Order: sequence, then C-alpha cells, then structure tokens
Amino acid sequence: MILRVLSFITLALGLGCATAPSAQAQAEPIKFGKLDLKEFDAKNFAADTAAEAVVMADFGRTHFEYVQNQFKVVFERVTRIKILKKAGYDMATVSVPLYRKNGNEERLSNLRGFTYNLVNGQLVKEKLESSGIFTEQRDANYSVRKFTLPNVKEGSIIEYAYNVSSDFWFNFQDWQFQYSVPVRWSEYRASIPEYFDYRMAMQGYEPLAASEQNEGNTQFTVRQEGGAMENITARTKTYRWVMKDVPGFRQEPFITTTRDYVSRIDFELRGTQFPQQPYEEATGNWNKINSELLAAENFGTQLNRTGFLKAEVAAIMAKHTEPLARAAAVQQLVQTNVQYNDLDRMYSAGVRKAYEQHTGNSADINLLLIGLLRNVGLTANPAILSTRDHGRLDESSPMMSRFNYVLAAVTLPGQAEALLLDATQKHADFGMLPERVLNTRAHLVTEKSLEDHWLTVASRQRYVHFQTAQLQLDDRGGWKGKIHDEHAGYNALSARASLQKLGEKKYIETNYLKQKDGWAVPKYTVQQADLLAKPLAVDMEVEAPGDEDPNGTLYFSPMRNFGEDENPFKLVNRQFPVDFGAGREETLMLTFQLPTGYEVEELPKSAAISLPDNGGRFQYVVAPTAGGLQVVSRISFTKAAYSAEEYASLREFYSLIVAKHAERIVLKKKP
Amino acid sequence: MNRFSLLLVVSLVSTAAQAGTAPKYPVAAIPSALRENAHAVVRLHDETFTVKSAGQAVSTLRYAITILDADGDDHAVDQVDYDRFKSISYLRGSVYDAEGKLLRTLRAADVRDVSTTSDISLAEDSRARIANLQQGRYPYTVEFEEEYTTSNTLFYPVWHPVSSTHLGVEQSQFRVKMPKSLPALRYREKNLPTGSQVRQSAEGNYTVYEWSVAGLPAFEPESYSLPAWELLPAVYTAPATFEVQNHAGNLSSWEGFGTWEYTLNEGRGELPASQLARMQELAQRVPDVRERVRQVYEYLQTNTRYISIQLGLGGWQTIPAAEVAAKGYGDCKALSNYGMALLKAAGVPAYCALAGADRPDIQTDFPSNQFNHVILCVPLPAARPDTVWLECTSQTSPFNYLSGFTAGRHVLLLTPAGGKLVRTPVYKATDNTQFRRAELRLDDQGNATASVRTRSAALQQDDLSQVYHQLTPEDQKKQAYRQISLPSFTISRYTLKPGATVPVPVMVEHLELSLPRYATVTGKRVFVVPNVLNQSAAPTPQLGERQTDVWQSFAYLDADTVQLKTPAGFRPENLPAPVQLSTAFGTYSMQLQALSDGSIQYIRRLQMNRGRFPKADYPAYLEFRRRINKADKTPLVFLKNDV
Repeated sequence: MILRVLSFITLALGLGCATAPSAQAQAEPIKFGKLDLKEFDAKNFAADTAAEAVVMADFGRTHFEYVQNQFKVVFERVTRIKILKKAGYDMATVSVPLYRKNGNEERLSNLRGFTYNLVNGQLVKEKLESSGIFTEQRDANYSVRKFTLPNVKEGSIIEYAYNVSSDFWFNFQDWQFQYSVPVRWSEYRASIPEYFDYRMAMQGYEPLAASEQNEGNTQFTVRQEGGAMENITARTKTYRWVMKDVPGFRQEPFITTTRDYVSRIDFELRGTQFPQQPYEEATGNWNKINSELLAAENFGTQLNRTGFLKAEVAAIMAKHTEPLARAAAVQQLVQTNVQYNDLDRMYSAGVRKAYEQHTGNSADINLLLIGLLRNVGLTANPAILSTRDHGRLDESSPMMSRFNYVLAAVTLPGQAEALLLDATQKHADFGMLPERVLNTRAHLVTEKSLEDHWLTVASRQRYVHFQTAQLQLDDRGGWKGKIHDEHAGYNALSARASLQKLGEKKYIETNYLKQKDGWAVPKYTVQQADLLAKPLAVDMEVEAPGDEDPNGTLYFSPMRNFGEDENPFKLVNRQFPVDFGAGREETLMLTFQLPTGYEVEELPKSAAISLPDNGGRFQYVVAPTAGGLQVVSRISFTKAAYSAEEYASLREFYSLIVAKHAERIVLKKKP
Repeated sequence: MNRFSLLLVVSLVSTAAQAGTAPKYPVAAIPSALRENAHAVVRLHDETFTVKSAGQAVSTLRYAITILDADGDDHAVDQVDYDRFKSISYLRGSVYDAEGKLLRTLRAADVRDVSTTSDISLAEDSRARIANLQQGRYPYTVEFEEEYTTSNTLFYPVWHPVSSTHLGVEQSQFRVKMPKSLPALRYREKNLPTGSQVRQSAEGNYTVYEWSVAGLPAFEPESYSLPAWELLPAVYTAPATFEVQNHAGNLSSWEGFGTWEYTLNEGRGELPASQLARMQELAQRVPDVRERVRQVYEYLQTNTRYISIQLGLGGWQTIPAAEVAAKGYGDCKALSNYGMALLKAAGVPAYCALAGADRPDIQTDFPSNQFNHVILCVPLPAARPDTVWLECTSQTSPFNYLSGFTAGRHVLLLTPAGGKLVRTPVYKATDNTQFRRAELRLDDQGNATASVRTRSAALQQDDLSQVYHQLTPEDQKKQAYRQISLPSFTISRYTLKPGATVPVPVMVEHLELSLPRYATVTGKRVFVVPNVLNQSAAPTPQLGERQTDVWQSFAYLDADTVQLKTPAGFRPENLPAPVQLSTAFGTYSMQLQALSDGSIQYIRRLQMNRGRFPKADYPAYLEFRRRINKADKTPLVFLKNDV
C-alpha cells in the first residue's frame, strides 16, 4: 500500500514534519510527568479495594506525519497506573509489539517512564533507565520492545509514554478502553487527513463518556522537485473518544473470545485519495473486497491452480454422476491428502504445494477444495468468515482484517442456498463444519455479486450422545450387562480424534473406567470408527460392583455414571451470552432386570421440563417392564447460543436435570 | 544433432542417478513390536559430543524418525537451541515416504529463527532454529543432521533414547569423546537395559565413551505412576573441569561446583549507605536474631519484586546488590544475593542455595548443574540451633516457608568453603492438613444450606495462598465456584484469609452455600450424602497388566466433621456402618453418630502417605481408593413421617 502513494511523492519530496492539527485544542487528560499528589491519597481508592491496580489515565493519539517522502502513522501514548497490591506489579512491565516487512517498519521512540513513591511524605521520582529496556526479536518480521519500571511497591504510581511511528497505514493503532483492572479515564484521539479513509468499528459493553469529531487543517511541508519548499494544507478530521470508570474485564465460560466482549475501537484502511489522484480503495466495500481477493495470488489465483489433479478429477467424474456424490468425493480427496496444520488462515501459500507436501493451512485446503469442486463441474465459491477465536464480525463494516478463514460454498443444482464445506478435519463427515468456525455468518466471495451476500454458518450438526444399556441388577446393588454408546455430530468428531490419539485401549480406559464407580469392562468393540457418516459406536460388557453383602433393601441410583452429575452453569450471574457453537442432544435408555426375589418399592417421578421459547427440553421417564424397569432421559438444547437474559433459566434447567439424574429407586426383597 | 545427444546424455544421467538412490528407512523394515502403541519410531539416533578443551565442545547429531500417525507429528519438528555461548554450524533435513523414497530436503525457508525467551522472563538471549518437515500422509520418515559448538561446558548432554511416550526405538547411540589431556568423563547411567552399559575405547588423542540401545518398545504412561523420565533409560554426563566465559570450575564434587558459583558471585554484596545504616540500626534495635531475620525479610518483600533477566553469564552471576537496591527488582540470584547482603549488614550471616525448583529431587550422587533457582538459607546461632529458609522472589510467601516449589529436596549451599548439599524442610502428612467443619441444614423438600469453615495448612494452602494474594475477592469467589464439585450450588458468602503461621502457614476459608435439591427424594425416602465437599474421586483402573510401580507424591491429612440438621419428622432408616481402612498407602475412617439434639454427626479422616509401592500392590491400591470413594458417597437414608 505504500507504493500507491508514489505518484503523489514524485511531485513533492518530503522534508520534516507537519504543524500540529488545529482541531486538537481539547485539553489533554494527562500530562506526562505532572503528577497530582492527591493520586497518593488512599481515600481516592476506597472504591477500588478489590483491584490490584487502577489505570488512572490511558491517553493515546494518532496522527500523520510526512517524513522522507512518505506519510507515517504516528501513535503517541501516555499511561499512568496506580499500583494497589503486589498482584498489580505485572502492570509495571510493558510489551510493545513492532512489525517490520520489506524495508518498512514500525519504530518505537521517545520511551520515557517514571515511578513515583511517597516516602515520608515526600514525592520520590525514579526514572526508567535504559538498563530496564529490552528488545526481543521474535522472528524475522516481529519484535517486542519490553520495559519494566523501577522500585514499584504497593501504593506506587507508574507512568510511561512512548511513540510508535509506522510505515504501515493499514496498521493504524486500535485502542482498547478496557483491561482486567479498572480504568478511570481512557481517551483516544485520531487525526486523519483527507487523504486517508478509515473505517472504524467500536464494540463492547461499556458506554462512551465522550465521542467528538472536529474538522480543521493540517499543514505538511514538502519539498518540490526543484528543491523549493511548499506547505500543503489538508482538511483533517479529528476524533476523540473517552470512556470513564470502566470496570475490570472478567472472563466468563462459554464465550467465543475475550476480544468480542472487551470495549475497544478498531481501524481499517478503506482507501486513500491524494491530490489530483483518483480515490484508491484499500478494502472499502464488499465489491472491492471480492475483486481484490479474487485477483490475489494467495487467494483467487489459487482457485485456478488445481489442474495438476486432472487425473483425480477425471476419476471422480467417471465414478460419480450425482452432484452431491461428486462433492463428497472431492471433499474426501482433499481431506485425506492434505493434513491441516492447525493454522486458521484466509490466504494460501499455494494449493499445489500443500497437496504435494500433504500439509497446509485452512486456506490451502479449502481453496483447493473450491478449485476441485469447480473442476468436477459444480458451482463453488469462497465464503470468508471470522473464526470463534478471532471474534465476531460487524457485517455492516467491510473490513478485510476482520476475516481470517475461508470455506467452500457449493450450490448444488436445484438448491437455492449454498452448502458450506470444509476439508480441514480428518474425522469430519461431509458437510460438517469445524466447531471453531461456528461464528454467525460467512461472506460469499463471487465475481458478479453486486450486493454483499451472507451465508449462515449455523451448523446442521449438533453434539449428539446416545446410550442404551441392558443391565442385570444383583442383590448387593451391583449390576452387569451390555452398554451401547454412540457419539454423533460434533461429539463424534472429538471422540474420533481422541480415539486416534489414545488408541482403543486407552480410549476405553479414559471414557469408561475413569470417574466411574469401579466399573470393569471385560469386553469391548469399537465400531464405525472410519465410517464418518455414521456415529462412532462402542459396545461393551460392563460390570459395576455393589456392596460387600446382600441387602434386603437396595437404594439404587440408575443414572449414576451415565447421566449428568454437575451443573456446568455454576456462577449465578452472567453478563455475556452463552455460546455453545451448536445444539446438543443427549439420550439415555437404560433397562434393568431386577434381582430375583426383589420388587420395586418406590420409583422416582417422571418429569418433563422445557426452556422458554423452545430453547430446550428435558424428559425423564421411569417405567416398569416385565421383570424390571426402564429409565429414559432425553436432553436437548435446540439453540447454539443463549442470551445473558436466558442464563438464569438455563441454570435452573440444568439444576433440575442434575437433580433428576441423582434420584434413586428403592427395591425390596419380597417377603 | 550435437545438442540433441548432449540433452540425451544429461537426461540419462539424471534418470540413472534417481534410479540409483537406494531407499532409506523403509517403513516395512520396522519390527512390528516397535510399532505397538507408538505414534512414531526412532530409526536411528547417532549423537556425538566431542570435547575440544575444558571450555569448548562440539555436538553432532544425526537422527531419523518415522512418523506413524498425526499424533507423532511433533517428532517431525526439530528445534536446535542456541544462545550467546552456543552456535549452530548446520541444520539439515530430509523427508522420505513410506517406501523410503526421498520426498524433499529441508530448505532455508523451512527453518524459522525464533526467540525462546520464556514467559516469566523479561529478557533472555535464548533462541532457536526450528525446522518443520511435517507431512500429511502417513507414515513418513524425517531425517535431521545438526551440529553446534558450545563454549559453555557447564552443561554436558543427557541422552534419553526414549525421549517421549508412544515412541518406539529401533536404534540409538550416544558417544562422548574426551581429550586424554582432560580428566575422565563423569557419567551416570539410569534404567539402562542390560548389556547397554558404557563401552570405552581409545581414538587418537581421545577416550571414547559409548552407549547404545536397540529395539526398545514404546512406553505408555500409567496412572498413579512416577513421571516417565524417572522410569526411562538415560545417561547423564558431566565434566570434571569446565569453563564459562573464562571462569573455570571443577564439577567433580558438590564442593567444587559450589566454589565456582560462590566465587562468581563474590563481592557483589555492597549496599548503599542508607540501607547499610538502616540494617545496622535494625541490628541494634532487635536483639533476637530470628525476629531480626523476619524483619529483614519483610523489608525485602516490601521493596523488591521478581523480574527475570538472563543474559550471557548473567544466567549464573547475579547483578550487584546495589543495583537491586536502586531498581527494586531482580531475579532469584539477585534477590537472594541482595537478601544476603541485607542480613549481613544486620549482623546475620546467610548463604545462597541453588535449588531445583518445581521438579523432583536432584541426583545427589552426581554433582552437576541440576538447578534452576536460588533461595536463601539462614543458619541461626548455636544457642537455638535452627535454620530459616527464605524464598526471596515472592513478595507474599510467609516467613521461613518453602512451598511445594522448593521444599523437601536437596539444595546446594554456597559457602566460602565451597558447596554443601543440604536438605530443605520436608512437609509431612501431619503438616499438610485440611481440617473442615460444616453444618448442613436440610429442609423437608430436600434443599439444603451449609456453613463451612476450612483450615488448610502447609502444602495444602499453597494454591489458596496464591488465590488470596493474586485475585480480587470477586475472583476468589469465582475460583471457589470452579473448585467445588457439587450437582448444583450457589455460594452466598465467601471469605478467604491467612491464619496464624505456627509453625506452617495456614489459610482459612469460610463458605455459606445454598444447595437446591441436595437431597434426593423418592416417595417417603430422603437420601442425603453427608460428605458435602470432600468426596474423593473414583480410581481409574487400567486395562491390561500393570507395568510400573505405584507412586504417591503427596502426603496429606484431611479431617472433616459435618453436623447434619434435619427437619422435624425425618427419621434415619439406617445409619451406615463405620468404615476403617488401614494400609501402607494411607489410612481412612468414616463414622456417623446420632447426637442428643437430633442431629447427625459425620466424621471422616484420610491420611495419605508419600511413597513408591511395588507394582504387585496395584490392585490393593485401587481397592483402597475404590472403598474410600464408595464410603465417601454413601448416603444417609431418612424416612419422612408425613408421607
């Protein structure tokens, strides 16, 4: 992107930096080195007794400078933190990542820091010395500047400031308002001259205290080709965002990624427009994104690089005539020949190379899949998305950097909606998407699309667990019999992966001997391990011991070791939605033969409970059979995600399930 | 015409060359016994460590591993570490298919150069080159060749032919070449199969020590067992004389190694005048030495924090005490050295001690650098012979307490007279206690509330102490939610506070719980498990024959008393009989008693012993744990009168 400005630079050679933008008249919330003694007064932190530290002020500014023939993005930051407890000492060590590529770089400068302590009523100020500053070269492109402040104690105030000057316009510094500790004041300002067009995305659960926008002029001094100086005036928009008294961020279980919930603002370069130049879109709009991706060597071009598999394609065409069967055969070809290297990427390093080396990232694999689907005569296109770990997308902002994954969208003849495919998982059945991509919707990348087209990434699959057992009870409360245990959908995916990793013996140990009350498994067979379209099934003979001696009265807990014994929703309150990724179904059908001479004295009550809005259902039935009884439990969660408001009913629902599964049957020896 | 024939010749030659390449490491050649339970098989491992002089050595390694499935893929990645003292001469690699046909050779682009600075460190100079030859189609074989030169001869290699679990070994050999001009190699063999002990030979100016093994099947870990590396074959080697950056030392005795460390760190204890005066004043004011040490430690904890910086010789040599005084931070060496300086100024001699933290005990009969940490040892005057141990990197550790991090193991005391091996305090089962008292109140619907007070001591309080010092009260409560395993519960009140540290530290936890549907009701019967919070896990038996001894690493004592209060009209149908188990692994007892006020008292006591038990005891061990689990889960059965 740096190259695109060359036309502007040829007319003017740069010299030195600009004058300060006039719009930034607003008083600065913090001045480096100007400490107020009342920041040491304990009563100002009475409300923060729980926190290990408080960010007093975090102030960032980004503007543009014109230096040595090019614009640089200059970020300045001043941060002041009050350390309240020893657990807050980590705040005094700071890492600043810096990027470098092809001669362009991010450069850190003007790093300053102080620690302030109140010693016998006197303010003692200690400087961050160069001996406290280190650089770690992580790899060829990426280094980290690290520093730690001196003499940090409980009650210290630390302060640091630095600038990062960047050649990468697309790396306009994002700003995070919220951290694990409370933040009193967080402010970010951005001055963006008319040449640059950024899209901004604000997110989080905390309100802004101020959001302002002003317009003014900035002067950049440039040198003409002949050597003469000239001041160029650019209209500049200045933004200011403030958050006040932001509470410390707290993780919750069952969320996608912290990034989705923390309060922050992200920037993406949409385009540039230099004087006497047309508007140059960087990503801009969906059409632009589509056409850029399709033209890119590491994306669209790869779709046409599948010719080397001509023979394989011909074989599939000859063997299968049905479009669905062809699609399945193509997915299997890719799945079995290219091992996913655990890297979720949207760009490919080359589909042919991946195939030949039998290993590749998600883009290598799925772009290859799309190319081959086209080769067998199907309509297939890339669909890009953001994985759960990468965070939620704002569909109204076309920001390329918010995507990190590509799937294949195949439209079968006669079908209105495209089918999403993924070939990164060895153990996944046709049409099954990895759990990590189950993150709302994917954007379809097609040549002719004039509007943005989105596909739902909701999986057709669920977490499915199905068990049946025929068991003979004995007079000591033990039993033996046959158990059939099936995992389907996402459960089958993880079960097959675990089976491969552990081998059959360890798999049986882990799943049927661990955490069970003395179960013995004298015989077992694992079935359908390689039939991905079918559940993974285990058939076992199992024995569970009873008491040492026979008992006239048996209190028998039928679901023990089969059902749910702990409510996973432990916490009372919930701030964020509960996101499972996919629905869930658990079915248990247990049949017990009573020991000879015994009869049922008391049975648990059957029950049926539903979640509001058909969000889920639990059925529990205990029914007598000839010589015994049958216990059936069915649990279903129909939705992939539940709102924070639904949390209380979800928790209560599970609590009832767990209680029902703990109930006991009373058997008595006939008189 | 000429041109054509030339082309023809060239193409003939290249075909011939290709045809002439004999397949390497065909998978079919692997004995089937080595593939069992294996994700990968070492085809060959040929390692030579050539000592050039007391201060320089070269390591040459060639190895080939066949990857059988995706879970063996990690073996297709070769990581060669380097730092200021160690430089890599070459790193080469190739990958072969199942038949042994060369697929490709490693290119420069396949090798990443990365920093390996650990997460706990601010700065280190450790780096690595990482070569990845992973393939997606199994099986395949990788072959790596690498060489490095080191000028840090404090470390000689350790040979672990079976370097991980689920790895078969066809052949592995290890050689150390010592110049005859240097003292003999020191080595320690461990768990070697018979017949693979050292062979010595002469080769020019070198004495060659050689070990080799062949045909070792894959090792599968078992539960309740020693860590794998304690059970697998290994040869440890070490020099008699060594040199790091012109600092020569003698490693043939603990005394010698201690001398080297002591000398390297000597004269770095000068303090600024103000702190010197402060300590001297303290010496005047506090005549009791133990109390004085306590106050010095408190001063150290208040004014410093742990920051790890390991650069070059700085991995073994502390920064001066004056620098710690000025900056208020340092690593374990620096903070211990600073503590030693403060104590000296306060008139109390103390010694730094090298420790192997967070790992099992060192091999005491093989002097070598087995340490990764420094603590401070303060011998108290003879009048009250005692030793105080100080962990200087923690700002919150109680005075004279070594947590599970460094307790109960050998450390090397650095004295002017050289190194001296001593043992840090051992915390016994009766130190590592958890005493809990609970009141459990039941309503007639089966709902319950409970008030619980738990007092945890010594190693049982280590985690709680961390939680207390690191987390906010709100997060402490969340942590309690994670720790507690109950069907359904809500914590209505939670507090966690340190108790009095006599003689071991104590954490006290108060819990108010509400337990909806804690009791299950079937018809007229109500079932209540009185052991609310301390139900032991059921043991995991294994399929197949036990291969290794049983190992219990942690000795502890738990005592629980629960008073169960039931609503009017509840009458116990039975009171489970008391259980009393007494074994070499530990003792357990449980009993129930109806009290005069109508409530029922449940008392449980479990003491587990630390120890290694022969594998023949494995069934008895499982049975012991199974019976505890069963007793822990036994319910009390009540009859409701109103039904």
